[in-house]
Formats: sequence, C-alpha cells, structure tokens
Amino acid sequence: MVGLQEGMCPGLDGGLLRSLLAADVKTVEDLVSSDLEEVAQKCSVSYKALYAIRRVLLAQHTAFPVSGADLYDELLSSTAIISTGNPSLDKLLDSGLYTGEVTELSGGPGSGKSQVCFGVAVHVSHQLKQRVIYIDTTGGLTASRLLEMLQSETSDRDEQMEALQRIHVFRLFDAYSLRDRLSTLRSGGLLQASGGGSVKAVIVDSVSAVISPLLGGKQNEGMSLMIQAALALKTMAKDFGVAVLVTNHVTRGGRGEVQPGLGASWSHIPRSRILLERTDRAPSGCSSTLRSATLIKSSRQPCLIKEELDLQWWSRSERRSSGKRKRDEADS
Amino acid sequence: MNAGETCRSCRLRWEESRVSDYGVSHGACRVDVFAFLQLLARLEARRCLKDIEPRLFLRPVYLIQWRDLYLCVSGKTELLYHLLCRCVLPEAAGGLEVDALFVDTDYSLDMLRLVSILDSRLSSAGLEEAALRSSLSRLLVVHCSSSSQLLLTLHYLETTLNSRPSLALLLIDSISAFYWLDRCEGGASISRQEEKLSKCAELLGRLLRDYKFTIFATCHTIRRSSSGLAASRSSTLEADRPYLCRPWQRLVTHRVLCSRQEAENHTAGGSREEKRQVFGVHCSSSSSRTKASRISPFCVTDAGVQFI
Repeated sequence: MVGLQEGMCPGLDGGLLRSLLAADVKTVEDLVSSDLEEVAQKCSVSYKALYAIRRVLLAQHTAFPVSGADLYDELLSSTAIISTGNPSLDKLLDSGLYTGEVTELSGGPGSGKSQVCFGVAVHVSHQLKQRVIYIDTTGGLTASRLLEMLQSETSDRDEQMEALQRIHVFRLFDAYSLRDRLSTLRSGGLLQASGGGSVKAVIVDSVSAVISPLLGGKQNEGMSLMIQAALALKTMAKDFGVAVLVTNHVTRGGRGEVQPGLGASWSHIPRSRILLERTDRAPSGCSSTLRSATLIKSSRQPCLIKEELDLQWWSRSERRSSGKRKRDEADS
Repeated sequence: MNAGETCRSCRLRWEESRVSDYGVSHGACRVDVFAFLQLLARLEARRCLKDIEPRLFLRPVYLIQWRDLYLCVSGKTELLYHLLCRCVLPEAAGGLEVDALFVDTDYSLDMLRLVSILDSRLSSAGLEEAALRSSLSRLLVVHCSSSSQLLLTLHYLETTLNSRPSLALLLIDSISAFYWLDRCEGGASISRQEEKLSKCAELLGRLLRDYKFTIFATCHTIRRSSSGLAASRSSTLEADRPYLCRPWQRLVTHRVLCSRQEAENHTAGGSREEKRQVFGVHCSSSSSRTKASRISPFCVTDAGVQFI
C-alpha cells in the first residue's frame, strides 16, 4: 500500500491532499480504484485534474509489460550456469546451478547438505573466481573446513586466502533477521556486501532452521515471513543474476515417504529440488561419503532421476591433475 | 457438433473449416478434456467471428482457475505453457496467433523452457527462426511484486486491452502468491485480509464483462493432501477446497485440477522399459450440470504436454 503524499505528482498539492484524505482516499490504490466523479464532487475539484493525477500515479506505480522477445533476449545474455564442482550433481541439475533461479537441497540430518554447500562455495570462489554470499543459520560453517577444502584444490597460500576472501558469511539465527538481511541484499546491498565484486551465488544454509519453528498453529506470521524471504531470494536471483541455493529439512509424508519440509506453500518457490539420502550400499560400521540424490522437481529434466553423489569430491586432491576436465561457467 | 449448427452455449455458428481443424490432432495439441474442447472451440470461434466482424469484440467470458494437488510436481506449469504456445504460435504450426498477457507474480515463468517448447513445435511444423520471434512478440510479460502492484497493474490493463485488440488471453501465475502476505498484513480482520484480492476480483469481473477475453489463473495448494496419491476421485475433489476470497470464487467459471498419477511403464522403442511420469487433468465447470468426471492423462515430453 502506497500512501498519498504531497508532491508525489504534479497537481497533488497540500490542499487537494487534505480534501482527498477527508474523503477517505488515503492510498494510491484507493484513488485508482475509486469512482473519480464521486471523489471530484466530494472534494470539489475538477474531474480532469483528478483524472490526470490518476494517470500519472498509475504510470509511476504499475509494472510495465515487456515483450516476450525482449525478455528472451535479455535472459539469453544474462543467464549463466554455475557448475557445482561435482559432476554427478551437475548431471542431475542439467549442468549446474542456473542464475536467476532458486535451487533447493533437502535431506535429513547428516545427509550432507552443508557439505554440498561448502563444496559449491569453495568451487565458485576458487575455480570460477566469483564471489559468494553465504548465509549461515545453523552455525555449521567454519572457516577451517573451507580452508581444508581449498587446501586440496591448491597449495598456494595466497590463492587460498583470496578464495576465502571471496566468500562473505552472514550469521543469522532468527527469521526476522533473515528477512531483513535478504531485503537489504536485494535492495542494492549485494554489491556493498561483496565489496564491489560480482556475486554469482547466494547460499542459505538452512532456510528451514529459522522458519519452521514459526510455522504451524493459527498464526499467519510464520507463513508470511517465509513468503517474504522467498520473494526476496527470487527477486535477488532475477535482478542480480545470481544462483541461489537453499537447504531444507525433511519430514515424512502421509504414506511414510520422505519429503522436503516447510510445507506445500514453500514447494512452489524453488525451481529445482533435490533430495539427499544416505545410500544403503555402504557396509555397516564404516562411514561412507556416498549419498543418493534424487531430483524431485525440475523444469528441465524428467523427475525422479537418481544419481550417486560422493561428498568427498570437493576435497579430493586428485582433482588437480591435468587429466580432469574443468567445468567452467557457460552461457546457456 | 456439425458444421452449420449453432453452439448452444456461445450461440456462435460453427464454420466448416473450424470443425475440421478441430477434429484432427495437431500433433501435441490433441485435447481430450470436454471443457477444454469447449474453451478452445470458443477461442477458435471467436477468431473466425473476428474475421466476419472485426469491430465486434465478442470474446468468450471464461475465468479458469488451475489448482494443483499433491505437491508442486503436477504438470500444471507444463499445461500452462502448452496453452500459451497454442495461443501465440502461428496458424501453420497449429496455433491461434493471438496475443497473450502473462502476469507473473512469483517469478515462476521459465522463459527458456517456453522457448524450447515453441521451438520444437515450430521445427516440427517446418517453420523458421523468424516465426519464433513473431510468436514471442505476441507474448507480453508483466511482473508484479505485491498485491497492491497487481491491483494497479490490472487497472492499467484496461489501457493495454484498448491498445492491443488482438489480446485474447490473460494468464495470471499465480493468483495465490500473495495470499499469506495479505493475511498477515490484514491482521485479525478477515475482510482486511481479503480486501486486495477482492478488489482484484471485482476489477477482473468488470473487465471480463466489458472486454470479454479469457483469463487463466493458477492457484497453489496450501495444504498437502494427507492421502498422498489418491486413487479415488472423490478424495481428489475433496482435497480441492477453495481458500481464496469469495468474490474470486464467484468469478471462476471453470476449475481445472492437475495431479500426478502413478508412473507407468512405457516401452521406449527398445527392450528397455522406462517409467514415465503421467499426470492427470480434471476439469469441472460451474455452469454445467453434469461434472465431467474423466481425468485425462498426459505426460511431459521435450515438446511440451502430450495427451495420452
């Protein structure tokens, strides 16, 4: 709701504003939806003047239609695919994280969601040399783990430090600060937060940790916060051309099957969703780094395809050998 | 429906060419659902009527609301793109060549996927790149970031409708995007919570009466069905409990429910059997006495939706 203010448009002076307020027309929406003849009579102003003001306000506050062809051209030039660094994950996601979209990773405790997030952050900052914004709501991020992953990529101390500097971490532990931080980032804070460099990935680990305590019951505020955070993430992804990766917990569905948490309202937010699970193949007694990833929602691939993911991929030192093909950023 | 007869509902005469176009399947465009048949027939009938009398804007008055059940993966978006393609494609590729306005409230328009569907349909019809550009130029996209902006944009829609007489379709995806935001902003009073959407609904009703175009609106499920993939039809209909405000419910004339069905085994030209995800669409109309109780199955291919 945008309130009417003096000087908002030519013709809206103090006197007219007062008479409009007296006629119970307080916001732009009220003025636009009201019957102008009636309002003109009540406020004793000319219909023409009101009509002109209405036209200007409408032009100022409406979203303008864009032709599909222009939108497509813009998208072709601005969309990039960010490789996650792990070939199996890339195959599942149709070659990587797409900028302008929100991708969700869900899994139970210990399924490796945070490890995947670390791996993606390290890959983007070191291999692709782009900045990453990492919002940590669980307290699971430690710089020493990131350093350990970087040490397997390169032994040059300077390069490691540079890569670490490109990862900007925000620690938040409640839904209100998450929403506020995302709003700040969306309204231009992205460049400031990253110190002027280009941000290509925003990782939120995890969204459900701060939102799910507020859901349930008759209160609407939790759902509203969730949708506000979601809209901020999507707007940020689209406007700044970043790939957003979020993590989510899992719950059991009606038939006992594992499904991502946060409910049906959240399920429409991410464009692609992956479910991580422990594989049964590992012999008991030894901790395996293998996980099974299932694609449960995608606009590009058929659903329910599975891939086996090795969480140690990002820490393997054999990757530095020349035999491996490097996946870089590619334009779609 | 034979040529020369008058359709009872829209009182327009069927032309012979339309009937023959209609009976033949245009590849991926074969539609089986009865209400869809009626709707698309009306779109076609309106077009031919426009050829007879260009100043008469007689367009069908339908507001169709899509719901999806059982989680996000229900093929709803694919069906939407299928209908959008059908509208903007040139006639040679099986389209209607009308303008469409897409109101995107939650950044869910996947332009790349839409273009790939258009491309595959155009190339199967043997048309070139230029046809893709012209089809895309028939599509207008507006993005709204709040329900106030949606209301203001719909007010501005009147100007757009006047300036583009070939605009026949308005797609809103989705009308329920701001539901929780409005509920929280409205506080404790339900009328304040529903105020903005009611105003949008009233405005749309007025525009529909004056300009007579078609509106498709999608609406997300907010409650998961506890029975999962239900086999019985009655639970399908029960799970679709409308939650948007009353003025909107009154405006809706057709309801389409998309749901996911069990993946069926499909032998793909070799010895390897693949499981193909099959979706179903169920259409009910508030005006028809008998509910169309069929669920029409479809699956999603690279070229978009294919009815089975």
